[in-house]
Amino acid sequence: MQIKDSPYYKSFLKNPWSYVAGAVILAILNTAIFTITGSPWGVTSTFAMWGAWMFKALGGHPETWVYFQGKSGETLAKGIAAHTGTFMNLGIIVGALLASLLASEFRIKKIKNMKQVAAAIIGGLLMGYGARISFGCNIGALFSGIASMSLHGWQYLIFIFLGAWAGSKMLVKFFM
Amino acid sequence: MAKEVRLDCLGEACPVPLIKTQKKMANVAVGDTLIVEVDHSCAIKNVPEWARKEGFNCEVDEVDDGQWEIIIEKTK
Repeated sequence: MQIKDSPYYKSFLKNPWSYVAGAVILAILNTAIFTITGSPWGVTSTFAMWGAWMFKALGGHPETWVYFQGKSGETLAKGIAAHTGTFMNLGIIVGALLASLLASEFRIKKIKNMKQVAAAIIGGLLMGYGARISFGCNIGALFSGIASMSLHGWQYLIFIFLGAWAGSKMLVKFFM
Repeated sequence: MAKEVRLDCLGEACPVPLIKTQKKMANVAVGDTLIVEVDHSCAIKNVPEWARKEGFNCEVDEVDDGQWEIIIEKTK
């Protein structure tokens, strides 16, 4: 029997896992991250660090900015090799690559048109800006926020619904 | 004679394939088949889910690595 016909291959590597399985694994892993690193899982604050290190490498002085006073400043001074968030984000990319390769679904997709490019750039900028001023993205602010019993996670939930609704209307109207 | 209509959604991410399918399906005659070409794995979940809820026959075929054809027959 070929591997691709094996029921174990299909249920573990080929077909998507159920939402319940995903939720339980995420909860266990987030608890592990919290135990090991002292703060729950987040993704986007790492992007701010990456930007700052890049700016520093080009001769800038982000350590004088208000954002990098206190804890973020310490992270900035310690450097990228000591930054757990960097390795967690790299882990997501490597893990996603591995999953798509193991499912035999990896492919480089073509860009359909310039509208798609514009939508991606505008969307990326809005998400990046929004994630910084709302203390995180749907991982750091929503998932980890609610899991930490913080009210800001629930607030985030309400407003991301409104934002997604408005975004979908704009997508259909301008970018399709 | 039943016709086959193709819809190219390659390179499109959610929710675009689903919305395009819904729009296209409105213009397909009863008895005809719509074949949606996608390379976004979420689309092979939400497009068939919608089609079956509408009561259409629906099948998914993996034609290449990470590329699928969703075959929807407009039965009514």
